[in-house]
Amino acid sequence: MVLRVLRLPTGKIAFAILLVIAALALFGPLLAFQDPLEGGAGILAGPSGAHPLGTDYLGRDVLSRLLAGSRISVLGAAQVTLVAMVVGVIPGILSVYLGSVFEWLTLRLADTLIALPFLVFAVAVTALLGNGIPQAMFTVGIMVSPLFYRVTRAATLAVARSPYVEAAIVSGATIGWVVRKHVWVKVLPPIAVALAHTAGVGFVVVSSLTFLGIGVQPPAPTWGGVLAADLGYLSFRPWAPLLPTALIMATVWACNLLADAIRDVSGEGGKALITAKGVRA
Amino acid sequence: MRILAKSVGIFVPVFLVATFVTFALRSLSGLTPAHLQLGESATPETVAAIEHEWGLDRPFLTQYGDWFAGVLRGDLGVSWYNGADIASLLLQGAIISLSVAGLALVIGVIFGFGFGFLAAARRTTWVDRAITGFMTFVSVMPSFVVGIALVAVFAVGLGWFPSAGFVPAERGLGLWLAHITLPAIALSFDTVADVARQLRAGLVAAYRENYVTGAIVRGLGPRRIFFRHVLRNGMGPALSVLGLKFPALLGGAVVTESIFGMAGFGKFAADSAQRGDVPAVQGVLVVSVVVVVVFNLLVNVILARVTPASARGV
Repeated sequence: MVLRVLRLPTGKIAFAILLVIAALALFGPLLAFQDPLEGGAGILAGPSGAHPLGTDYLGRDVLSRLLAGSRISVLGAAQVTLVAMVVGVIPGILSVYLGSVFEWLTLRLADTLIALPFLVFAVAVTALLGNGIPQAMFTVGIMVSPLFYRVTRAATLAVARSPYVEAAIVSGATIGWVVRKHVWVKVLPPIAVALAHTAGVGFVVVSSLTFLGIGVQPPAPTWGGVLAADLGYLSFRPWAPLLPTALIMATVWACNLLADAIRDVSGEGGKALITAKGVRA
Repeated sequence: MRILAKSVGIFVPVFLVATFVTFALRSLSGLTPAHLQLGESATPETVAAIEHEWGLDRPFLTQYGDWFAGVLRGDLGVSWYNGADIASLLLQGAIISLSVAGLALVIGVIFGFGFGFLAAARRTTWVDRAITGFMTFVSVMPSFVVGIALVAVFAVGLGWFPSAGFVPAERGLGLWLAHITLPAIALSFDTVADVARQLRAGLVAAYRENYVTGAIVRGLGPRRIFFRHVLRNGMGPALSVLGLKFPALLGGAVVTESIFGMAGFGKFAADSAQRGDVPAVQGVLVVSVVVVVVFNLLVNVILARVTPASARGV
């Protein structure tokens, strides 16, 4: 499936962008050739050889701050996706097999969670569990898990009702065997689509929180934090928000592009995602 | 009536669980107003005294029961930070946030439905492709990015709008509108994109239905077909999305209010969270759950009225 996604031009672009972002997360803090916390001589300076993107209101190198801040964004987005997947996928499959009480409960729970404003809850949780990105991302992960629940459930339902699976059951196959042999394969493509989509949401949430200064201690460099610092000095450096903005948007866009590419190549499986909203029965 | 029972029936248990968990977390995490009031100079004795003063040394269930009884009377307790009544603080903030969210919703409905109609009416032409492409672009722009761009261009650059603050409507409608326009636009982008895409998809699908072919064969005019058949059946998904979008507006307010320096509901939530003001945060959660329930209810009622399929309970 990976190869087929890469054959699409959109898949190539998305992969390339995400690869760069992943490299930034791995090596960014090392690449930051100036201390992102160290204030220099000139504050609010324009681009120069020493500071390609200029300096902020404390004279800190903006490029170094962006590079050093990439890790927290990527880790946060990864955490949202992982938590959402684990919390959503397992009940999604089980809801088809565990009987109507479990089915009804999880369906209602999914409806409710998706209706609540997850950013408000993420902010609230940082007050209760200590001010940290992991706590906030864990909450967001749980609150967006209904997406995984719905797509997994839709795909599982479609498999469970197909003639070849019914034939397998009639010839004595156990449900565990059916899940491992047939359901799993059909469930993977919509999960992959949801993964890419959720990663995009995760990047927006991390950037929003760090923009507000929630979840990180002030001197720590973050994408959102750089943006927030730029906002206060727009009249001095009106072009300053462009690069952090472009960085955040390119990442989110690449995630969505990847989701579309996976949906395109996975055919049947991807369709489950489109119809997932209508799944009630 | 059945819709009402269903919506409330789902949210009441969730409400109970959510508030119970936040209460339990507070107990476990050991957060107390003592840290806020005493800071570094806290000694075990003074901490215990303050906890006693706030009634935090009582059994957990008693505290929860008392708080819950208060919520039912509309009393959300007092802030750990400044001892002010949380319900009235939230009410002040809510007026600001509702002004912005209301305008954002109006913008979202007008432009979302406008673009959606246009794309569906001119489906598969360049108009449709341009709108769809633009909406995809818009939907990946986080609201704080839109907000900053709007401030940079229209407030700092052109000086058409104030860059921050809020003026109540009583002090002049024009002034009020000028202050909430930019944040409302920033907040509405996501809604516009989602409503437009859902409406386009819904209308295009409805045009393919057999009853539309039947109506054409029966010789009905295009206007009548559109309003009586296509629109009523095709706008369901767009309306549902609108219902789901309201909580997103509430969440987005946390960010946009910080950009535009408005002391609204979202700013209150973020500030209280950063201060560790637990009762205030709990109040925020209560209000957001209630707002979401009410809005979902409204949308479901409208949906049942407008679209024939959902009236039959499909």
